[in-house]
Order: sequence, then structure tokens, then C-alpha cells
Amino acid sequence: MPLTDGSASNQRVALNLKGVTRRFGSFVAVDNLNMTIKTGERRAILGSNGAGKTTLFNLITGDFPLSEGSIEIEGVESSTLPTHKRIQAGLRRTYQHALLFDSLSVRDTLLLAVVGIHNKWPLFYPLKKNSKYHEKAEALAKVAGLSSKMDVLVGALSHGQKRQLEIGIALSGDPKIVLFDEPAAGLSPAERPVLTELLLSLPKKLSVILIEHDMDIALETSNIVSVMHNGKHLLEGEPEEVVHSDIVREIYVGKRQ
Amino acid sequence: MKLFFIVFLNGLTLASLYFITACGFTLIFGLMRTVNMAHGVLLLLGAYIGYEVVEMTGFWVLGIIAGGLSCALVGAFLQAFILGRYQGDELRQTLITIAISIILADFLLWAWGGLTYQISLPEMLQGGIRLPLLNVGYSVVRLTLIGMAIVVGVLLWLLIAKTKLGIIIRAGVDDREMLQALGFEIKKIFIIVFAMGAALAGMAGVIFGSALSISPGTDIQFLLSSLVVVIVGGMGSVGGAALGALLIGLAEQYGLAYAPTYGVVFTFLIMVTVLAFRPQGILGRAEQ
Amino acid sequence: MSRTLLLIVVILIILPAFISDFWLNQILTRSIILGIAALSLTFLTTYLGVVSFAQITLAGVAGYTIAYFSPNTTGLGIELPWLFAVALALLFSTLAGAFVGAIAKKSVGIYSIMITLAISMAFFYFTRQNYSIFNGWTGFSGITAPVAFGVSLEDSLVFYYATLLSATAAGYLVVKFTSSPLGLAVQGVKDAARRVRAIGIPTTPVIIAAYAFSGFIAGMSGVLNVWQQERISSFSVGLGPTIDLLIIAVIGGMRHPLGAFIGAITYVLIDTFVIDLFSRDRFNMIIGLVLLFIVMAAPQGILGSFLSAQKRIRKYDNNAIKRKIKNDCEI
Repeated sequence: MPLTDGSASNQRVALNLKGVTRRFGSFVAVDNLNMTIKTGERRAILGSNGAGKTTLFNLITGDFPLSEGSIEIEGVESSTLPTHKRIQAGLRRTYQHALLFDSLSVRDTLLLAVVGIHNKWPLFYPLKKNSKYHEKAEALAKVAGLSSKMDVLVGALSHGQKRQLEIGIALSGDPKIVLFDEPAAGLSPAERPVLTELLLSLPKKLSVILIEHDMDIALETSNIVSVMHNGKHLLEGEPEEVVHSDIVREIYVGKRQ
Repeated sequence: MKLFFIVFLNGLTLASLYFITACGFTLIFGLMRTVNMAHGVLLLLGAYIGYEVVEMTGFWVLGIIAGGLSCALVGAFLQAFILGRYQGDELRQTLITIAISIILADFLLWAWGGLTYQISLPEMLQGGIRLPLLNVGYSVVRLTLIGMAIVVGVLLWLLIAKTKLGIIIRAGVDDREMLQALGFEIKKIFIIVFAMGAALAGMAGVIFGSALSISPGTDIQFLLSSLVVVIVGGMGSVGGAALGALLIGLAEQYGLAYAPTYGVVFTFLIMVTVLAFRPQGILGRAEQ
Repeated sequence: MSRTLLLIVVILIILPAFISDFWLNQILTRSIILGIAALSLTFLTTYLGVVSFAQITLAGVAGYTIAYFSPNTTGLGIELPWLFAVALALLFSTLAGAFVGAIAKKSVGIYSIMITLAISMAFFYFTRQNYSIFNGWTGFSGITAPVAFGVSLEDSLVFYYATLLSATAAGYLVVKFTSSPLGLAVQGVKDAARRVRAIGIPTTPVIIAAYAFSGFIAGMSGVLNVWQQERISSFSVGLGPTIDLLIIAVIGGMRHPLGAFIGAITYVLIDTFVIDLFSRDRFNMIIGLVLLFIVMAAPQGILGSFLSAQKRIRKYDNNAIKRKIKNDCEI
């Protein structure tokens, strides 16, 4: 099946993946994957467990090195850049299993996220109270709904709050592309609409890639859907069109019943 | 040129000792992730016991067996009653082995004093032979030592590659939980492996005490060499221990011969270079 | 806790008026110097999550620097004004810390123990072999503490206050460093290094900075130690002092900067008094048994056990209050 071009062609490209491949020994986790994310695009990636979605995120951020292919972030070839350089270029992500600093408070975590992307290193001395960094951290906490938890240790947060903090970190600074790795996993039915609303309220110029098993959230918040299977990018298109395609029914929807 | 070859042989001798010692260290580490800081002091204990037995019976081989056995017993005791209780808490285990090494070293000092001991060799190993080609004399015991290291290496390889225990050890290095889930008595296996590792240290002690001599401080020397050998060669790998021992043994002897005031720098540089390019050691596997 | 700290400092300031010279020199001053060195270790353990055996080496780098650039009876080295010598000593120990960090940057837990131990022993053997800088195994002797700002640091009371001031400064620096962005990043590396990179911070400089900082603190202790002992040799950087420092950190506990000093004074008291009850020759056996006991029975050390006991009591109190409120409401 040919890959359809889902939107206007003269939009700027935020992220361009060409021939991205990752092997672990003889196992090919991501197989010659091509994907172009336009500025402001909201893309959901569907696929069963083991399809290579999280590995793809790890490749984009540089958590794992590529076996082959190239990754361009905002037009800059980034596949050999270390993770922190890619983050400083405007890439952000959340982790499927919250990966946070358990011994720091929410405030310190957000401060670190704010300071980190400013590339103002090293800062040896404590930040003055009410500095602009503190303001930004407070603002992030508000977006993530954690304003009342600022001085709680991250290790003491509930599962849902940790996911909110992941999102708060991902929105620090001036993000251009955000990768959300199953943000709804483990959330209660009551928390899900809050997440949907948060995803819908993100700035228009932000590009988003979302891995999500909750179909309702994925379809509601995206305008383009990609399907991955066995490490391959099988197809992409409008949400409605993709969901009703035979391939998706076969590998994904069938499983949901 | 003659010096170069003699130093090479000396390096091989030292590497053989380092290999036998480091094998025990790396065996224990590979399966249990325990850094046994008491490894050096076990070597010293084995050497003293071996000395006493050889003095008493006059049989050198008996001394080696006694040194190995006594250390195996001490090692089994440590794993069964002290270290085994903290399996999984590697840092705590390491601290415990440090405490044990301090206590045991002090006990050995109290029992055997600060003297230097040399274990008497059987007649056939005494003296030297004239090496063909080089036309220099070289002590027989040192050549025997190189042979012993090869025998130990081959035996260990056979054990790990061909026996059931070896299969269990190999599986355990990859996945300890799996072993437990498969219903192996992991505690018993740990005790056996710890005893084996300790026995290797004890035997190495007797051999070292025969080829050279032993005194307080030997324990530290061999603990450190074992550390460096496994850091360089790769932690938990017998092949790595062989490679590491060879590199470090040769580096030390060449350093001693050609740059006596900077000998230790070579060892250090090898370690730093390996860590910079392969943090898991030359033949080690990366930790996940 | 800060009020407790202030109280401790006040007590330590007035204490010399009530104790003998022996207590001042051999117990208090020595404990505080050891405490500063232990602080450099507990800092790394608590905040970066690594156990470093190289802290005595770092202190030794500073100590040797002071010895080399001070008047001594060895006939080796260059005399420099004491302030320069101290500045150089701290600079070198900081750089040495950064160097250790650069080597051990990918290692945590038991791996960091093995690698830092190998580094420290390499330094030990190097000082024994090298005569042009380190003067071999005899090292330097006859080093005298300088006259600083008009007062002689050789006077034991002055030296005690200088030591106390240094310790307070070291504690202050650790507290400030750990709440700075860099210090937060250090703690972040301990919890989740991948996440630190994923918020745009490279981890290698953070780890190296943490080791360098610990080198600075260890260097403070190294300078003071040489001034007090008036000598330094390869034995000062050997395995013995290295293990002793670990024992001090374990005794005191690694949860709080104060633990290092509690561990140090406990160790010095055992070294000075308890040993006489047994036999001086068996010091190692006693200290080994103490270490074994603490690691097995109270892994958080004396201070840690005390703090968690306090927490338990407080929790108990809170529960009692909650129960009471609940009962009242039900009535």
C-alpha cells in the first residue's frame, strides 16, 4: 500500500525519518522506517505490543543509537547527536514507564527541566527564589496540574501524578516536537478526559507524536495516524480511513475484542 | 634481547598466578555479582595452611590440596551463613567482605606473625633448566606454574562448557531469576561456586608461596591484581581473566624491567584505556 | 535539624575551654579532619550513588601539594607563600577528582568500588616508586603549619578553630551545591541518568563535576591533615586509610552530611580508648567487627538509625493523633 500524503505539502517539516533501522542482534526492532512529521502535525502511532513504537521513540531521542538511516530535527541531521543536544534543539518526550527523579521534589525536577534546556551550564549556586526559572517551573506545574504538589518528593507521587509530571517536563522550554509514550497507561477513566483536554490544548505550532493504546484518546487528539507492525511503517492516513482499513482490523482492532 | 625474553617469561609466570587467582574472583562475580574483597585474604590463608601441611607431611601436592580445601570450607561458610542472607544487595555484600577481610587478615597476622614464609618445593621442581634457543637458565617451578595455569584454565573451561553445573552457571550469569524459577536450588549452587572460587584462591596462594614467598601484604597485592585483571578482561568471564592476566602480568614485568620507577603507570594506563573504550572490559558483556 | 546544627557548632566553639590539649588535638581536631574527608565520600554516595575508594587519594593529592610547596626537612620541593600552596593544593585535588570522575563515569555500585579502588592503589604504588615528586615511601616530613593573617596555625587552639571553620565551610558548600541546578542534576543522574539526558543535560560533565567537587572537599581535609601530622608519605594514601574512611562513612551513615563527622568521632574514640580495653595489636580485628556489625545490623549507620527511629516515633505519634481525632469525630 502506498503511503498517502495527509496534508498540505508546503508546510515546514519538523521531523524527518529516513530509512530508520535498529537491530538488536538478529532481531530487527525498527525496519527501514520512513516518516515525515510536519510542523503542527498531530500523529498517533498504532500497533500491537512489540511493533517497535517505543524503540522508534528511543531512536528519535538518541536513547539508542541507530543501526542505519537518518533523523532530521528541524532540518538538521541529528542521528549522531547525543540526546541532550536533540532535546536542546526542541525535541521532548515522555516515558512509558515514568522515568523520574524519585529523590527530588516536583519543584526541583521542573526547575532542572527548565534550566536544562536553557543550556546554561554549569550553575553551581542555588537559584535565587522567584527567579524567572522558578516562574517557568510554576507555570509548567500549573499546566500539568501539580501546583499543589510542588514540594512533594517525586517518589511519593501517585502513578497518575507521575504521568502528569512526565508531561510537565516534556513541555518545558520551547518544545517543537513532543513524543508521548502511552500517556494514558494506568490512568483511571476519570483522568482520561483530563489528559485528552491537555493534549488538545497544546500550542498549534507544536508537532506531536503519540503512542497510545486507548483508541478514543488517540483518534480524538490526532489528525494523522500511522500503523506500525513488526518494526515496519505499514500505512498512514486520516484517522477514520486508517481505523477502517483491513490491515488495522487484522493486527490491531481484532485484538481489542 | 635476552632480557626481553626473560622478562617475557617472568610476565607469563606472573600472569599465570594472576589468572588462577582472578578466575576464582571472576567466577564468584559472574554468577552472584558479589565483589569478594576477601579474595586476597583467602589466598593468604590457603598459603599459610599449605605451608603448615607441607612442613608436616613433606608432600607438596598435599599442601596444595589442603590450602584449596580449607579455603573452600571458609568460602562455603561465608556464603552459607553471612553473604547468602543479603543476596541481591551487592553493595552490602561488598562491605561485608571488606569487614571479613580486615578481621581475617588480622587473625592471620596474629596466628602466623609478620614473617615471610616460603613453602618448600618437591625436589623435581627445584632448581632450573637451561632453555633451548635462548641458552639461559630458568627455574623449573616457574615453568610448572605456567603449565598449571593452562591446566586450571582448561579444567574450568571443561567444567563450564561441558558439565551440568557449568550449564547452570552459564544460565545464572545471564538470568538469575530464571534459574530460581526453573526450580534450581540456587542457594546450594551459590555455595558450591563460592567454595570453588575460594579454593582457587587458596591453591594460588600455595603455588605463589612456593614459587616466591608469602607475607602479610600478599593478600592486598593479589586482591588488587584480581580487581585490575577482571576490570581489564571483563567481569565474570574466564577468558577475560586469562586475557587480562596476560596483559597485566606482562605490563608489570616489562614496566619493572625497563622503567622501574614508573612500572605501575603501565598497569594503570591499560586499565584506563580499556575503561575508556570498553567499560565492560575487553571480553565482558555490557550490563543492561 | 538546622537548629541542632547551630547548637552543635556553638558547643564545638566553647568546648576547648573545658578539655585538655590531648582531647583537643587527638580527638576533636583529628575527628573533624577525618570527618571532612568522610564528607567527600558520603556526598558522592548519597547524591551521585557511587562508593568511591579514591577520596583518600584526592586528599593525598592536596596533602602532597602542600608538602611540596611548603618548608619541609626533605630537601624536595619549592617554597611558596602558604595561600598559593593551599590554592594549588585545592586546585590539584579538584582536578584529580575530575580525572577520577572521567575514568569512573560509567560505573555505579560495585563497579565504582572496583575502579576507584584500582585508581587509589595505582596512586599508592606510584608514590612509593617515584622519588622526584613524592620522595618514595618515606615521603615528606617536617612540614609546619603556616602563620596565617598574623596567627600561627601551629598553636593547637588556633588550628582547632581553623579546622572547625573549614568543616563548617565544607558542610555549607555541600548543602549549597546539592540545591544548585548542578547538584540537582547530580541527584538526577543517581535516580535516572537517561532522564537527565532527556531533559537536555549531558550526564558526563555532571558526573565529573560531582567527583571534582568531592575532590575539593577531600582536598580541604588533605591540607589540614598534613599541617596536623607535619608529614605525608605513601602510607597516608595506602589501603589502610582508604578502608578507614569507608568505615567512618559506614559508621556514621550516608544519609546526612553530619553522619560523616559522627562516624569520624566514633572511629577516633574507638581508636583511642576502646582499643586499650583489648589489645592495641588487635585494632583491626575490633574495627572489622564494628564494621561487620554495623553493615549487618544497622546499614544506615548510627545517624541513619537514629533518624529513622525518630521518624518511627513521630509516625507513631501521628497515628495516635489520627486515631484520637477519628474517635472524637465518631462520638
